[in-house]
Amino acid sequence: MIQKKICMIGTSGVGKTSLVARFVSSIFSDKYLTTVGVKIDKKVLTVDGTNVTLVLWDLAGDDDFQRLQLSYLRGTAGYILVADGTRQITLDQLLDIQARVMEAVGPVPFVLALNKADLQTQWEIGKERIEQLTAQGWHILLTSAKTGAGVEEAFSDLSRMLLAPKP
Amino acid sequence: MEDFEELRRLLLGREQEQIRDLNSRIEDKERRVRDVSVVLPHAVKLSLERNGELDRALQPSVENSLRIAIQKKPEIFVEAFHPIIGPIVRRSIAESLRGLLQSLNQTLENTFSWQGLKWRFEALRTGKSFGEIVLLRSMVYRVEQIFLIHRETSLSLLYVARDPTASKDSDMVAGMLSAIQDFARDSFEAGADAVLEEFRVGELEVWIAPGRHAYLAAVIRGSAPRDLRLALQETIESVHILKGAELAQFEGDSAVFESVRPELEACLRAQYQPAASSQSRQIKAWLALAGTATLLLSIAWMAWKSDGRWRDFLQRLNAEPGLAVTANKHNWFLKSRVEGLRDPLAVDAAPLAVAAGLDPARLIFQWKEYLALDPVSVRRRFEKRFSVPAGSKVTLKNGVVEIAGTAPFEWIEQLRREALFVPGISALSERDLTLLYDPARVLEKFQAAFPLPAGVVADFNSGSLALSGRAPYEWVAAVREGAKRIPGVTAISEKELEVVFDPARVLSRFEARFGLPESVSASVEEGILILSGEASHAWLARVRPAATQIAGISAIREQSLVDLDEQTFRQSKSVIETALIYFLPNKENFATEGFVALSRLPDEIRRLQTAAKRVGATIGIEIRGSADAVGSEAKNIDLSERRAKAVFDFLVSCGLDAAMFKPLGLGAALVPGEKAAPEQANRRVAFRVVSPPSSVAP
Ligand SMILES: Nc1nc2c(ncn2[C@@H]2O[C@H](COP(=O)(O)OP(=O)(O)OP(=O)(O)O)[C@@H](O)[C@H]2O)c(=O)[nH]1
Ligand SMILES: [Mg+2]
Repeated sequence: MIQKKICMIGTSGVGKTSLVARFVSSIFSDKYLTTVGVKIDKKVLTVDGTNVTLVLWDLAGDDDFQRLQLSYLRGTAGYILVADGTRQITLDQLLDIQARVMEAVGPVPFVLALNKADLQTQWEIGKERIEQLTAQGWHILLTSAKTGAGVEEAFSDLSRMLLAPKP
Repeated sequence: MEDFEELRRLLLGREQEQIRDLNSRIEDKERRVRDVSVVLPHAVKLSLERNGELDRALQPSVENSLRIAIQKKPEIFVEAFHPIIGPIVRRSIAESLRGLLQSLNQTLENTFSWQGLKWRFEALRTGKSFGEIVLLRSMVYRVEQIFLIHRETSLSLLYVARDPTASKDSDMVAGMLSAIQDFARDSFEAGADAVLEEFRVGELEVWIAPGRHAYLAAVIRGSAPRDLRLALQETIESVHILKGAELAQFEGDSAVFESVRPELEACLRAQYQPAASSQSRQIKAWLALAGTATLLLSIAWMAWKSDGRWRDFLQRLNAEPGLAVTANKHNWFLKSRVEGLRDPLAVDAAPLAVAAGLDPARLIFQWKEYLALDPVSVRRRFEKRFSVPAGSKVTLKNGVVEIAGTAPFEWIEQLRREALFVPGISALSERDLTLLYDPARVLEKFQAAFPLPAGVVADFNSGSLALSGRAPYEWVAAVREGAKRIPGVTAISEKELEVVFDPARVLSRFEARFGLPESVSASVEEGILILSGEASHAWLARVRPAATQIAGISAIREQSLVDLDEQTFRQSKSVIETALIYFLPNKENFATEGFVALSRLPDEIRRLQTAAKRVGATIGIEIRGSADAVGSEAKNIDLSERRAKAVFDFLVSCGLDAAMFKPLGLGAALVPGEKAAPEQANRRVAFRVVSPPSSVAP
């Protein structure tokens, strides 16, 4: 069985823990319990007929109180960047974080999840912004940990990228 | 005025310079600071040497400034304190661990104290045996789980555990262990290669043995000796030696590390404390035992009743064929357990529990399937597999199945084939068994083996196969030969059957048996063998008596059939018997023409001999001498004898067997029936072929 380490990265409160909970145990809670340090979970996924065990590292959100612990990223096969679609600023900060991550782990595959897609009325991130990132080659998905929309895809898309033979 | 000024300058010029200088020193703040900075260290030093007044004076402001500084720039202090905080925390943790161990050790020693009772209670509560609890508690240490974890990816490469069922998700644990290490490393800013070597979680201790690419994490219960660390270190080293390349190139597929499982398992060590025994403890132990005994006795009678039911139930279970109880545990509070073996055809155990007065819902059965070999179970198995037909009587004794009565053939056939495959059955015996044959099935089999020719009808009735119609002989022969091998067929009736012969086939069967000389032509017509041509006597002798044994030949007709050997025999015989050997008058000397005739004779006699042998005849040849009427009777007899003797001598000298010839002197007498010949004609020797040869010696 192939195992892959995957990190969840994003600022506080964007829904990293919620996405993992939705993906691993199909549950969602409105309560917000900020993650301290790191929480590890796992899930077996079948991608194009191959079974792969994803070991998910849900890292504490990067904010004024906790810096992103770069050492937790060591050996990660890929990562999911998470931003909160109802707060434009979480995406701006995420781009900074991504640069640091890239420096630490090199060019490993990643996807960007714009989370809380269920909150349409409060949505802040414009279409142009998404198109611009897509043009840079980013793989972007709209997800909702609450409804489950896009969650499975985010993980399986990333897994597929991990399993693709390296150029 | 100017002069005054000049005077002052002359008198006080130097002092004025100095005053200005001093003035400026006092006024120029910067300069003053510079000056103080030169003297301050000395002053502080001096003050310290005296009585610490300065310290006291400075304390409030220093504290204040520190507070401000920490509020404003905590990083500086954090940075500054890091190197010392790490070791301090570690030392403090080690200290408290040691304390914990101490108290644990003390409690362990009081086996029969309050602690002992508590363990008993714990045993009762957890359902584990008391021995298990004591073992657990008096254990020095036990390595319970070992993780082999890849450093770079934090993924679990291999996981071994003493109790495989207790395993948590090793992938997640591996991740957490790595995260803890990262956290510790980052928090105390130890070098990248530094590792958290051990930490304690509740009753468990986790030891880490680091390696270049992977590390071992051993989960230990109790306090392990130092040499365990050495063993772990050696193990991770040998893992690196065995799997170095795979570790360096690890991409997520951990299957290749399965081969180092034995190395990891060797680290699942344990050590237990030998049972301590001391005087005081024994007394305590006795007291405790006595107390327990009273308690037990008081509950015993309560238990007795319930126990009786339990024993009754176990007896019922064990008495039941196909059930065997191997272990049982009668619990009062928890559900009781029964473990054992159960034949798939055995009865359900729950009704037995009801019969014994127990509640099946409070029982847990754990049956393993097995094949019971007791007679009842074997019989059940037999009957399930072969439903016994009415009329058959089956008895089973010591693995031997005995069948009596009547039984359909097909059923018996299946038994013969499969009975010995039934576990518990070793032999099959049929005694006074009448087999019933289904006529339709028998006929079906017969027709399958011997497809019926057109026009033939077969019928089967109580063992006899009745055939009617016209059937080719070959088919009938095959049926006669093989039909009785069909189960159920004991006789064949051909009363209504007409057997048809194909002349060509009859002939070829004839030929196959006797052979057919080229000079003979044969045909079969209406059952009669017609032979013509020429054949050796021997062949004919074989054919004549035996040809009718060939099916389809009822008689032989010979149409101008020549026996070649007999013909030769007759020809030779007449040649010899017509030959006449003439003699000179009154002499036993051959006349010329007589000698010519004589010289042809030996070959002819040989030919005759051969032919006689072929036709099975034994022959002799009389050499008959005679004389003409001239002279006396006695003289003529003598002459004729001498003449016969001369011929005899000649023939013997030619190599012919003397015993075959019989020389006779006939005198002048005419052979009866011979026509009178001219005088000269009587001076001769003639021959007669006789059979059997005369017994009189020549
Ligand atoms: N409506 C909505 N709420 C969400 C969604 N995902 C997360 N939330 C809420 O957002 C809050 C933060 O979610 P978390 O998953 O704890 O966020 P996090 O990124 O793990 O935060 P940190 O652990 O502090 O870094 C919680 O109250 C969630 O209920 C979503 O898709 N839709
Ligand atoms: Mg979280």
